[in-house]
Amino acid sequence: MTANRPVSGRAALSAVAVALALVPLALGGSAYYLRIATLALIFMGYTVAFNIIFGHTRQLFLCLGALAGASAYVSVVLTMKLSMSPWLTIPIGIAVAALLGGAFSYVSVRRSLGVIFVGIVTLVFSMIFHNLVLGLRDWTNGETGLETKAIAPAVLSGGLPSYYAILAVLLVALVAYHLLMRSRAGTAFQAIADDELAAELAGIDVTAYKVFAASVGSALLGAIGALHAYYGGFISPTVFALSSIDIVVLVALLLGGMGTLLGPVLGGILFTLIDELVRPLGQLNVVVYGIMIVLLVVTFRHGVVAMLGKRLKIRLP
Amino acid sequence: MLAILIDGIVQGLQLSLMAVGITLIFGLGGVLNLAHGQIAVIGGIATALLLAAGLHPLLASVLGVLSAGAFGLIMDRTILVPAYRYQGEERLLLGLLITLGLSFVVNGFLDVRYPTVALTLPLPTPSFTVGAITVRTASAAVAVIALAAFALLFAFLKGTLLGKVVRSIMQNEVGAGLCGINSGRIRTLIVALSAMMAGLAGVMQGLFSSLGTELGNEFTSFALIVAVIGGVRSVNGTLVAGVLLGIVNAYASYYVGAYLTLLILLVTAAGTILVRPQGLFAFRT
Repeated sequence: MTANRPVSGRAALSAVAVALALVPLALGGSAYYLRIATLALIFMGYTVAFNIIFGHTRQLFLCLGALAGASAYVSVVLTMKLSMSPWLTIPIGIAVAALLGGAFSYVSVRRSLGVIFVGIVTLVFSMIFHNLVLGLRDWTNGETGLETKAIAPAVLSGGLPSYYAILAVLLVALVAYHLLMRSRAGTAFQAIADDELAAELAGIDVTAYKVFAASVGSALLGAIGALHAYYGGFISPTVFALSSIDIVVLVALLLGGMGTLLGPVLGGILFTLIDELVRPLGQLNVVVYGIMIVLLVVTFRHGVVAMLGKRLKIRLP
Repeated sequence: MLAILIDGIVQGLQLSLMAVGITLIFGLGGVLNLAHGQIAVIGGIATALLLAAGLHPLLASVLGVLSAGAFGLIMDRTILVPAYRYQGEERLLLGLLITLGLSFVVNGFLDVRYPTVALTLPLPTPSFTVGAITVRTASAAVAVIALAAFALLFAFLKGTLLGKVVRSIMQNEVGAGLCGINSGRIRTLIVALSAMMAGLAGVMQGLFSSLGTELGNEFTSFALIVAVIGGVRSVNGTLVAGVLLGIVNAYASYYVGAYLTLLILLVTAAGTILVRPQGLFAFRT
């Protein structure tokens, strides 16, 4: 087989930026489809974060919704109760998410928990978060949730401005991801994903890099979570539930391809298309997600990016 | 006071019955079954449907438990096969994701197909009196059935050759294979058995109160908490942890409310993993 021609990360990033920037034009001004496209960007952002945490350092965080929700609730509640500017509270929310994610990672690495125990601990945290939000009724308004329309930053109130604002954040995240993977840390992540013990023996500080990956990923989760909260117009435990965030992100990442730059983007697009196709099924869409997880895990573990690369004889980033 | 204690013990036994399945499947198959509560619900809903078809409650219950077992059998022989091809971490991860997906499929399907079906099994005499206390017949029945199931399980594990084989695989799968044990077949047997115990726990829920399709996730999370606190490789530990958790749950719900209780249990589970990953009560398998 001839060597596959590599596609540079910069070219891929530019292509993604141009393609996603043109999407609103293609939608022809339909507010409904613009909303779906914006939500797709939000989920791509979550997937990029999960890709750093799980795709590169094999830490199975099943609390993506909870971390994003923690940041969103911190920001919204602070903004409402203390009438602070959202621009001030969003960084606080992000810091909370990053600290929580970093702490989980630190504890799990220190206790050398296997992938499954990290999964259980974070799953339990998801449940704790859900119950706390339901229980702290005075602040969070329980199951009913909080309206965020009135306090949203101006840029996130219109349809088109929000799309481009969120796209900008996503592109910054993708560029940061690209630079991170080309740096020393990226090489370390690669080594950790291949063989943790060997990486440790080669002198890589596995603890530090895993905690770093988890913190960066969680910070991104927090940032996107806050955007999600203000863009969506209201937050409730259901918005950030395991089945609304974690499952979708898991499917999108498996679909796109773990540990790749384009995986989260392509996975997010494909997932949105599939989700639109199964919308007529109503509540049965959960069944479709479940079937997709099983099928993807069993038969299609390398994702679309790897498949496209093989077909087109190119090496995609 | 005593009534709460009895309630707690009985509920704990029911929890243990579910959690022990998670323990067995994890210990033997190396798969953490996140669809276990859903299997319990399948057993209960099957019973409810058979009851509605006019079957005798006892027969319906037996068939319901068997259908949960059949579901476990099919799960093991079909969608878990790809996971079994791998070893160690890889298998754990695949198994976790596959059963997570499966739990969504089962939940979604049952919610949409049978949204209003619920299982209630009323007993002819609601309660009886022993000495000074009144005992609900349902509680007594659940306790007797659960204890009988556990006695059978222990007799099987400790007393029979097959049980010895099961324990040998739990200790060392490769070693057992070298001694000529076909671990795949034993695994299928144990998964089906665990699914039946989960189904039994689901039917029991119908005895106390009622079982609807929405309970699957709650069952899975409680069973997972019990299995984790008891030690995911220890059957004894799971039984002890289940009963203790049942008692704590009953008293705490009475004094501090259900909301705080659940939080306490969740924090205990998370703490257990961090402090003693092998489980608080893991003495021997």
